[in-house]
Amino acid sequence: MNSRRNFLKQMSGAAFAVSAAPSLISWAASVDIPGEDGLIVRSFRFVDLETPVEYFDTWLTPVPHFFVRNHMHEPSELNPEDWRLTIGGEVEKPLTLSLAELSKIETHEVVNTLECAGNGRSLYRPQVPGVQWGKGAVSTARFSGPRLRDILQRAGVKTTGKHVMFRGLDEVPGKVPPFIRSIPIEKALDSDTLIATHMNGAPLTRHHGFPARALAPGWIGAASCKWLTEIRVLEKEFEGNFMSPGYRFPNQPAKPGDAVKPEDTHVMTALNVKSAISRPSEGAKVKGSKVSIHGTAWAGEADIAKVEVSTDGGTTWSAAKLGHEQAHYAWRLWTYDWKTAKSGEYIVMSRATDTQGRIQPATPVWNPSGYLYNAVDQVKIRVV
Amino acid sequence: MSYSRRPLPYLFVLIFSTVLVAVACVPPFWAQSAVPPSPKATEDLPAGPIEAKATTACLECHEARIIVQQRLSRAAWTKEVDKMTKWGALVNPSDRDALIDYLSANFGPDQPPYEAPRSSPGKTAQGKVAPGKSPRRKNVVIK
Repeated sequence: MNSRRNFLKQMSGAAFAVSAAPSLISWAASVDIPGEDGLIVRSFRFVDLETPVEYFDTWLTPVPHFFVRNHMHEPSELNPEDWRLTIGGEVEKPLTLSLAELSKIETHEVVNTLECAGNGRSLYRPQVPGVQWGKGAVSTARFSGPRLRDILQRAGVKTTGKHVMFRGLDEVPGKVPPFIRSIPIEKALDSDTLIATHMNGAPLTRHHGFPARALAPGWIGAASCKWLTEIRVLEKEFEGNFMSPGYRFPNQPAKPGDAVKPEDTHVMTALNVKSAISRPSEGAKVKGSKVSIHGTAWAGEADIAKVEVSTDGGTTWSAAKLGHEQAHYAWRLWTYDWKTAKSGEYIVMSRATDTQGRIQPATPVWNPSGYLYNAVDQVKIRVV
Repeated sequence: MSYSRRPLPYLFVLIFSTVLVAVACVPPFWAQSAVPPSPKATEDLPAGPIEAKATTACLECHEARIIVQQRLSRAAWTKEVDKMTKWGALVNPSDRDALIDYLSANFGPDQPPYEAPRSSPGKTAQGKVAPGKSPRRKNVVIK
């Protein structure tokens, strides 16, 4: 059966319904997507779901709140008994592993903040094409599974192996190029790079790449291919649409609206330093002489050094208190207790600095595909 | 004097159960209206002279929401249409300009922003956004 039809048939088993509902947020026409709770539906077919910023209140994001980014259709049929992972290319001994064999390899855990490179794209002006993510194509989970390094060592990487390619079982519509990307061998052999089979202690769900996905911690989400079925060691970077022109950033700042030549760009790897305010929300009315401001901050392969908050539109900044839960590659929650001066409208801003000395810019660095948005975050609120 | 209080919980359970059963038997309000609110699991393209052809060209591979959330200039739409045609969208060359006109007119930079729906709140989301107002629906989780 045609795979797309199959997918639709499967999804039609889910109940699509209108939720009559309360409230502050538009539950008025919510879409039932089994296993995904209260996410912003950027696309239903294929599935792209954003985590609302008000859910950034736990260090680990519950899986039903974890954003979903699919480039194409999910595998319509995937039997874990039949699933195989092949390892080939520049290796001494090509391997084929079943899920049972994969599960026998020593497991490692990494708490990782995964962020789509296009997170914040809708905030760029002029606007650029692509999924119009707000601030929530980012979430954090405890991923676990064998180290990619251990698998590659079993296969024996030849000295000619310089890059490692991942291919998933995504079902490609039309003549769209397949979603295949590669990472450099150094990142592939890093002790924290995984073939993840679990997320927050449970097997990966279908939306998150069951039964196995790559996990390149601290890097853009696109480096962590889902529904993984093939690992191939290459002599050079993989050449394909999602390596070029996709997922590249200008070498020099571009003027908003300008085109950038492919040769003036580079492949994106690690994430930027960034923070987000989770509460109060944009447009909120808050009462009292003390307002607690909450948020989170992350920095890819670096750690957060500090988060500052401004309540006067960026003129003065005060240090926020960082949460005690922390791990390399994971975001830090933060809070700032603001003693409000008087009622009125305020612009509340947050600004993170990382251990590499990077600091969030006041204005975003525009680029033609709307990647790596990391300008200082802000919400407008009214104190009453 | 606990014996005198014992019947109360039973009475309460009986009344509560009756109310629950009664509520469960009443169809939800949208089932009573002639035109139920659209669930909009997937979005529709707007009416226009080339709507049918746009539907054929674009929605074979992805839903309309991917289109209706964009706010692009005519130049950007031209690039998108040409890219998608290369990727398999069935666009008759004689329809290309009309399709670009349609997309630019409906989804240009001056249009108000598209408001995306939310997925229905389940157990995880309850109490997150509207304290004291539990969402009425609960998802059936199928993994």
